[in-house]
Parts: sequence; C-alpha cells; structure tokens
Amino acid sequence: MTNEPLPLGLESVRATTRRHFFGQAGLGLGAIALSSLLNGESTAATNPAWKIPAKAKSIIYLHMAGSPSQVDLFEHKPDLQRLHNTECPQEYLEGKRFAFIKGVPKMLGAQFSYKQYGETGQWVSDLLPNLTTILDDICVIRSVHTDQFNHAPAQLFMHTGNSLLGYPAMGSWVTYGLGSENANLPGFVVLSSGGKTPSAGKSLWGSGFLPTVYQGVQCRTDGGDPILFLSDPPGMSRAARRKTLDALADLNQFQHQNVGDPETMTRIAQYELAFRMQLSVPEVMDIGRETKETLEMYGAQPGYVSEAESAADPRVLYKGDDPTFANNCLLARRLVESGVRFVQLYDWGWDHHGSSPGESIDETLPIKCRQIDRAVTALITDLKQRGLLDETLVIWGGEFGRTPMMQNNKNTELVKGFIGRDHHPYAFTMWMAGGGIKPGVFGSTDDIGYYIAENPVSVRDLQSTILHQIGIDPHRFSFPYQGLNQRLIGPTEEGRVVHEILT
Amino acid sequence: MMNRIALCCGILLSASTGVEAKEKVDFSSDIQPLLSKNCLACHGLDAGSRKADLRLDQRAAAVDAGVIVPGEPDESELVARVETSDSILVMPPVDSGHSLTEQEIALFRRWVAEGAEYEEHWSFSPPVKVEPPQGEQSDWPASAIDHFVLRRLEDAGLKPRSEADRLTLIRRVSLDLTGLPPTVEEAEAFVADQSPKAYEKVVDRLLASPAYGERWARMWLDLARYADTKGYEKDRHRDIWRYRDWVINAFNDDMPYDQFTIEQLAGDLLPDRTTEQILATAFHRNTMTNEEGGTDNEEFRVAAVKDRVDTTLQVWMGLTMGCAKCHSHKYDPITINDYYSFYAFFNQTQDADAEAPFYPTPTAEQARQIELQQVKLQELKSEPETDEAAIKEAEEALKAIQESIPKTPVMLELAPKKQRLTKLHNRGNFLDQGDEVQPAVLTEFVDAPEEVEPNRLAVAKWLMQADNPLTSRVMVNRLWARLFGVGLVETEEDFGTQGTPPSHPELLDWLAVDFRENGWSMKQLLKTIVMSQTYRQDSETTPELIEADPRNRLLSRGPHFRLPAEVVRDQALAVSGLLTEKIGGPSVMPPQPEGIWKSTYSGESWQNAEGPDRYRRALYTYLKRTSPYPAMITFDAGSGEVCQVRRVRTNTPLQALVTLNDTAFVEAAGALAKRMEEAGDTTRAQIAHGFRRVLIRPATEAELDRLVELYESLDGDLLDAGELLKAAGVEQGDARLVAVANVLLNLDETVMKP
Repeated sequence: MTNEPLPLGLESVRATTRRHFFGQAGLGLGAIALSSLLNGESTAATNPAWKIPAKAKSIIYLHMAGSPSQVDLFEHKPDLQRLHNTECPQEYLEGKRFAFIKGVPKMLGAQFSYKQYGETGQWVSDLLPNLTTILDDICVIRSVHTDQFNHAPAQLFMHTGNSLLGYPAMGSWVTYGLGSENANLPGFVVLSSGGKTPSAGKSLWGSGFLPTVYQGVQCRTDGGDPILFLSDPPGMSRAARRKTLDALADLNQFQHQNVGDPETMTRIAQYELAFRMQLSVPEVMDIGRETKETLEMYGAQPGYVSEAESAADPRVLYKGDDPTFANNCLLARRLVESGVRFVQLYDWGWDHHGSSPGESIDETLPIKCRQIDRAVTALITDLKQRGLLDETLVIWGGEFGRTPMMQNNKNTELVKGFIGRDHHPYAFTMWMAGGGIKPGVFGSTDDIGYYIAENPVSVRDLQSTILHQIGIDPHRFSFPYQGLNQRLIGPTEEGRVVHEILT
Repeated sequence: MMNRIALCCGILLSASTGVEAKEKVDFSSDIQPLLSKNCLACHGLDAGSRKADLRLDQRAAAVDAGVIVPGEPDESELVARVETSDSILVMPPVDSGHSLTEQEIALFRRWVAEGAEYEEHWSFSPPVKVEPPQGEQSDWPASAIDHFVLRRLEDAGLKPRSEADRLTLIRRVSLDLTGLPPTVEEAEAFVADQSPKAYEKVVDRLLASPAYGERWARMWLDLARYADTKGYEKDRHRDIWRYRDWVINAFNDDMPYDQFTIEQLAGDLLPDRTTEQILATAFHRNTMTNEEGGTDNEEFRVAAVKDRVDTTLQVWMGLTMGCAKCHSHKYDPITINDYYSFYAFFNQTQDADAEAPFYPTPTAEQARQIELQQVKLQELKSEPETDEAAIKEAEEALKAIQESIPKTPVMLELAPKKQRLTKLHNRGNFLDQGDEVQPAVLTEFVDAPEEVEPNRLAVAKWLMQADNPLTSRVMVNRLWARLFGVGLVETEEDFGTQGTPPSHPELLDWLAVDFRENGWSMKQLLKTIVMSQTYRQDSETTPELIEADPRNRLLSRGPHFRLPAEVVRDQALAVSGLLTEKIGGPSVMPPQPEGIWKSTYSGESWQNAEGPDRYRRALYTYLKRTSPYPAMITFDAGSGEVCQVRRVRTNTPLQALVTLNDTAFVEAAGALAKRMEEAGDTTRAQIAHGFRRVLIRPATEAELDRLVELYESLDGDLLDAGELLKAAGVEQGDARLVAVANVLLNLDETVMKP
C-alpha cells in the first residue's frame, strides 16, 4: 500500500465528495451510480496509509474566541500576586511586540482567588466552580504556545494550520479523510454564540483548497432555518414538497435514460437526501426533546434567542445566565450522538482588554465564565454518563493567552471595569478530555506565568495530537496543492503527537 | 549516507513483470512522474532537504555519482535500491510512505538498460504547431482540433458522436459564451436558418453580445481574487468594482491577451499611461489588507507581495510557488534565490498594507458629465458679461461629479530614491532576512529580455515573449477547461513536473501557437474551439462509452457538466424574465437570509435590494471575503481570498436546498409561473410553455404528462396559495404553477450544460 495522496482528478474528488454526504453505507438509489463511479478508486480512498487506529470517533471543539485569561482561571502564581501593580521588568518587554500595550505596563495579579481541587490538587480560580468537580476527567495543558498574536491570524493558525486565509479547517480535513457517520447529516457542523462570529469569520470553517463539500455547515440557533434554505417556501406543505420531488425524480430519470450520465443519478439521490435532512436536521437540533434533568444539568433553554445575537455590540448585553452557549453544548452532544464527525463551537466575547466594562477582566470575564462553566461541565458529565466520552474528543481553549501585565489603556491605575490584559502568545492554557486523552495536568510556566517552563505544546503539536486521536497520521495525511503535499500541520516536521497525555 | 557496499545484500527481483518491452520507455511520461513523486523530495533541486548529496533531477549528477550507469542496470545503484527487498536499504525509504509497484520498478530497470536518457519536462520547451494528423473518418473533422481528437479516438477504437441537435447546441453555446441561455425566439431562428453558416452566425452574435464580457470576466475575477472587502478580521468595504468593470470591458473589446496582461501587471509603468491603464493594475490590489489593531503593516505588506508573485506565476505560467518562498522547489527548477529575485520586481510599489494609493477612476458616464460641465463652464466664463452665480453653480456641479468619482486602489511604483532593498527571507520568514537579491526573471524557463529597465513592465513583457513556453499553453488550456469541464492538462494550476501531462499534447500546442499567431485574440480562440465538431458533439453516453472513456478525456462525446454557480442563478433569472440587464456599477445586495453578516467589528450591514438591483447577474453580487454569498459558495464559487485557478465541482444536498428554497429561485419560479399562465389557456399548454422557456427544447409527451399529473395532484390544502404566491413575489396567480415552475428550475437538465 502506498500513501499516494488522494488524487486531485475532478471525478475522483467528486466521487469522494459524494461519499462524504452518503456516509460509508451508500444509499439506495445513488449507491449503484456511486459504486460504479468509485470502481477502481475505492481502495486508495478506503484504506490509505495515513489511516491509523482511532481512539475517538468524533470531536467537539469549544473555542472561546478572543482568548480567555489563563492568569485568572488556571494559572495560580503567588509571585505574580506579589508583583501586582509594580512595573513590568524590562526583560519581559524587550524585543516584544504587543497588540495594544505601549510603554511600561504594570504587573497584574489574578483578580480572583484560587483553591485546589481534584485528585491532583490542581489550582483553579473561583470563576469555574462547576468545572472543578470534573477536573479528574480532563487534561489541563498549561504550556500551549502559538506564533500569532492577533485574533484573526491566530484563530486561522489554530484551526487551519496557517495564519493566512485560504486553508482548510481542521473539521474539513477530518471529514475529507473520514467522511461522515450519518448519511442524513453533514459531517462538519459549526455552532456559534456570544453574538458575533469570530474575527476570522467563516474562513475558520472554510474548506480552502479541499472541495467545498467539506466546508463546515453552520447551524443556526437564532430561530431561523438551522441550515440555510432548509425550509420549504411558505405555503408549500411537506406533502406538496414530496410530490414535487417525485415528479422531479421521474423527469430526471427520463433524462438519465436519454443522456446516460451517472451524475444525474447522484443528483436524484442528493435531492432525496435534502428531503430527509429537512426532517433530520431540525430533529437533531431540537433540544426540546431532552429531559428536564438534562436541560437543567446544562442550563439549557430550548428556543431561547439571546438579544446579544442581534445587537450591534453584544458585549453590553452579556448576562451570566444567557443559555445560548449551553444550548450549543447540548446540541453538540446530540450531534455527535447522531454520528456527526466534527462539531465546532465558537463563543465570542473573550477579548478582555479592559478598554470598557463590557470587555474587562474584572466585570466581563466572570459573566462569560458563568455562561460556560456549568455547560461544559455538563457536556463532559453527560458524554461520560452515556458512554460517549471515550469516543469523543473534547477540546477547550482560545487562540492565545493573555498577558500577566495589565494593559495600560488610558488608565495607568486600576479602575473598576477597566482592568484588562493584552494578547499573550507565549504561554496559555487549554484543556482536552475524552477520546483517549489521559486526565491530569501537563506542562507548566515560570513563576509569573510569562514563559513556558516545561513541556511546551505548540499549535502544530495540538493539531497533530487531535488528528492522531481521530485515527489520522498527521504527517502522512496530505492533499496536493500549489506544488506541495499540503497538510494541516504544515510543511515542516515540527508537529509532534503529544504522547505523554494519551492513555 | 548511501552505503554502496551494503547494496550487494539486496535481493534482486526479476524485472520481467508486467511491462511489455515493445516500445522504448519514455522519460517524460514514464520515468519523470516516478522520480518526481518518489525521489525528488530528497534527491532534487532543493539543497536544504537533499539527502546523501545526491541529485536525480539531472542526468549528469546522477551519472557522476555512479548511481546511474547508462545501459547497465545491474551496475546501477538506483536500480538495485529500488529492487531490493531489504527494508533498510530500499528506496524510497519505508517511512517516506512512498513505494513503487513491480511495474514501476521494472520501468526503472528498462529505462536504465535503454540508456537512461532524460528529457526536458514537456511544458518547459516552447510549443510547436504540427500538421494535424489525418484520421480515417475523413468526413467528420471541421477543424484542426478535430483531427487531433479523431486520431486519439481512433487509436482507442472509438468514434466521435454526431452533432448535437440545434436546440441543444444553441443552449450549450449560449450558456458557454455568455453565461445566459438563448431565448426561445433565438433558438427558433437558428433552427429555421438554412444557411451553412447558421451556427457560425450564432457564435459571432454571442461573442459580440455584452453578456460575453460578463461571463468571461467572472472567470478572470476568480484568478484576480476579486472581492468587495479588504479581508482579514475587519474585512471592511473596498471600492474596487471599477476594476471588475475594466475586466468586463476588456473582454468585450477583445483586448489582446498580451495587452490585457501588460496593463494589469504594469499599466502604471507604460509611457503616456491612461486612467484605464492605471485602473487595470488594481488586479494586484485585490490582495488583502489587515486593519486589525496592532498588526505589523510590514508583515502583511510582505504577505501581499508574495501573493502577487505567486498569483502572477500561477495565472500566467501555471507554476506553483507555494514552496519556493521557504526553500527551493523540490520538483521544478525554481530556487529560493529565484523566488526572491522575482519577488524583487513586485517589492517596489507604494502600497503598504493599507488601501492607498488610490486613483480617481471615473466611469464613462462620469467622464462625459465632467466634460459637459467643463465645456459649460468654459462657455459661461467666456461670455462678455459673466454671470457669477451661474459660474458658481456650474463649478459646484462639476465639483460634485468629481467627488462622486470612485477612487480605486492601484499599483504605483515608489520613487527611485525610496525603493526597497530585497533580501532572501530565510524559511519564508520576513523577520529573518538573508542576502540581498537583484530583480531577475526565471531564466530557467525563458531568457531575460535584453536592455530593459528591470521593473514590472519587463516582467509582463517577459511573460508574453514568444519563446515563453507556458503563458499561451496555460491560457488556452484554461479556456478549454471552462468549455469542456476539464482542461487538456487537468491540473490547470500546475504545469510543472508535479502536474498531470496533457491528454492531447499536440492539440494543446497547436492551440497555443494559434492563439499567439492570432494576435492573442481570446474571442478568436473561443470561436476556434466552439466551431469544432469536437465541441458540437452530442453529450449522450452509454455504459460502453463510460467504460471506454469514463471521464471523457478522449473527448468521445460533447461536454456535459453542472453549470457554474453564477450561471445557475443567472439562468433562472433569465428564463423567468426577471434578469436586470445592466452592465457594471457598484456591487449589489440581492436577498440573502437574515443574520449572515455578523462581522466582528464593522458596522456594515446587508440590505436586501429592492427593484432592479435584486435581479442583477451574479457577478455583481457584493462579495465579502469573510462572509461570501451563501448560494454561490454552495455551488463551489470562491471567497476571493486567494487566486482560484479552478473550481472543483461538487454535487451536494445543500445545492438542492438552494435551488428549491432560496428566495432568488422561489421568486424566479413565481415569475416563470406568471409567464406560463399568460401563455396558454390550458394547464398543459402553460406547462409546455414553461418547459420550453427553461430548457429551450419542447417537452416530450411523457414529460408533459408527468408535470400535468403533478399539477393536478397539488389540490386541496397541499399548498397555501396565498403564502406561496407571496413568497414567490407575485400578488395573485396560480400557486400550483409556481410549484411546477420550481420543479422546472431544479431539473438535472436545467442545471447541467446540455
């Protein structure tokens, strides 16, 4: 078996794109056309050399867009508290570029108190009381670092492996490689909360140079169609739609008899799938079908549409009990339960520079934590209770960290509602759970949490580890484009599977 | 290091497997791809990644190293190392993930035995026009194209198909040349035309139609990465639609491809440059600018310049430069030094990750108004008794027009004293710069022009030099691919050694030379192709034909593939009578679902257009890079973030949802139903009329029966007529016909090129 990259030929790509939506099983009408098209091409695609034994079947990636402060959540640093409100030593400023900090900032100790929890006695701040109850189920990585210090490039780097636009998202790569487990649902679903899409926009779930069929399908939860154009036009009943599709299929059959192009058969099958999705998508998206206990556990509220979703500036409307993110977490569980391969959540509103009370460490961070703490805890607990945690990899984090210094906006003194931190790419915290990840703590930073002290984990390492757990050899998995065998982890060999955190 | 002694331990396999030794092994088609795929990553041009100090990309190097002994496979280490079953010695190494089949190994042995001759990669030597071969079926060919195609078909034991019927043909050629379907009247006129030139007359009419420019501009805009916003986080509005209109005009005027190239790459450097020539340089101002707080402008300026280098070589020469900015190309003759020497040409423009410099680019109408006002002002001033109030009024009117002139970001060169030094970027990192380089073209491909100032203008002229082996081939292949669905070279984006070889090399070369000889006329080139019998074949196929020519690479039938995103929309608007025929102007916002635009910071919003702008052609739809128009991306259109050489066509259920339910298509169904209603007294006649409008051909009885049956089955409360009619944008009418029209617009035959 060679590890020949999947061929770039149009037909073969089209054949694989069909498989993406058909799932592995193939479906009645289209299956004949499909199998004839796949003839001779299927071996390379079904058992390629990059395929390795999988620990996880699906992935739920929770991205806190804007980047939460690890200093105030996971990084207990008594030395930093001691330096609080003193000028930052020059050694931390020389040769550094910051997004907003100018001159000499003051050190800023954690704004919330810490206690120890779990078997490992990990320090976690008061802002995440629920999460502390499941610390023994997650692996906290305190030593993640990135190359990028602005939101859009850093988000792109995290999710597409490149800080420029135009590269496929991790979810696109994964569905391109593994397809979907459910023939009636897309394989890569994106959900967002917090009132805005992340800085880098829809490019974060774009398919780049992979066929567009692999782009993330954004499911919307604001009361409109969960998938764009899913609803029939007003006035057209489902029975009427069925009748129109029957006529359409019959006419297309005539066409196939006359012209003989197998693509016509595929099109007939795709219309049937669209019809089934009209039922299956709203069904899976309907969290109202969950028990009261489950809803309560997540803090979810079916049908809730946050004011923040339509506000020009959602930050002023943030409330701790906003259930939008909780609803999305519950949806994520329903989706992976139904066989969706990759569920990507974005929660906007974590960019706490302190330039206003709506984006400050002292006022906004606690609200954002209340919005997610119970929900992510419930997600892990719920997956575990259902026996799904072992086969679902959950990832939580931002695109970088935040500085241990205060951002000296207009205020050089600490003013309530204006306490903020700048972007910090050198060391930050993420956590992973399930999918063959060993719970515990990995990596550490220096005494003030500025630099990594041991076990650095780069973005490429994270990506390598994620692909590895889902059953893809990150080094061999590629797609030919621009004269390179393009990979999620980039062209160099720096990406490494972090075996230390695997079970 | 290679250990030559250890090679003796390898067990030599018999080389008799599978390969029939009747013809000499061909380097280009047999060996080059194997070397390229399996060997050159470690034994190629890139010194940085080269292993064992061995090069296999050059014959002399491989022979000097003793790895290849021409004529002596048993003496050649290359043969021994690919044949051995020792997992430590075998090449390619086990952990490379590459391996050779027995046939491939046997090919290496035979090639060495036959002398191990190397040949230059096919696309790196200039195309030559050879006499088209004569096939047996002498009554079929209508042009040189057909002779080349027929030869390959006959070699494969196949025959071309007969010409498509006229209704199919006019629908096909209209959709191809103008992106719009013919009207029923145009189709009838063509059927009735007895003249032997009937088809040619249609082709000429279509090429002369303004819609032609719109259709082919869209093709070019993919390459130009055109969009109406600046990209990155803020992704704010950018006024650059005047460039889009420049492209439309250039196609409609059939601007020769050399001029088209020179003006876009270096219009600002032409002597006596015109405003339009400067506007053309906006081609390379479609790169993104990053307005996110705290970003390093130099970082994103450099990213934009690299994008211009990559896009230039990609678009004109089909070369991929993705790798050469970090290290020398592993496969094609481009070193990192070559890359930055070429980069140096593009490193001297004034723009630096911001929109400036701008240039006032009046539309033709604005230019006319200005002239009128100036004349008027002149007259007022020259009157014996000047009317100060009138003069003031005229001056203000003139000022108002001048202020309304769109200012387009363009390329302008830095003053000589301010020009930048260009240095290598080690591993592509702009913060880690190496030796200084001087501007130089890629002389491995084409010699540098003599005695010219080394600037972008020189690059543009170098691209169009008659001895450039790639420029013409790449462009004819591109236009061919838009018409046939696949290029003669399938990897339109890569004509280098990693790309696929052409299916009809002599045909490609014939067209490439012909294109240049015809003064680079794109209209002439398209006409040559669509006039061929090859293009005019019917597209029907059979299981036997699919077996013999599964992907129609032999051109054993007419082209048959799904229409591009824009044509799917424009056709629906055209056949329903909704289409607004207006060329150019600022981009418009046809309806899209609520809440699509939730950009992080910009306060800009999407306002669904009412009136004529609701139904403009798709190329005028506002394109926001971080939030492209959903119906278009679902049908594989791009976001304009980077140069898109070809769109890989997909066929998904999300596409079905667009054409079934998107407002544009529901309103098209409403308008079509209205036309159907007015066109006949019986349901059957009405449906027959609608069918004809959409597919141009009349429906068969069976098709009509089925659609009438659908109509009749939609009784009772299956439809809420009031609601459906409202959604379809018609005040009153027959909701059942709307549902039937919705089916017509979703037929496989409707969205496929016939």
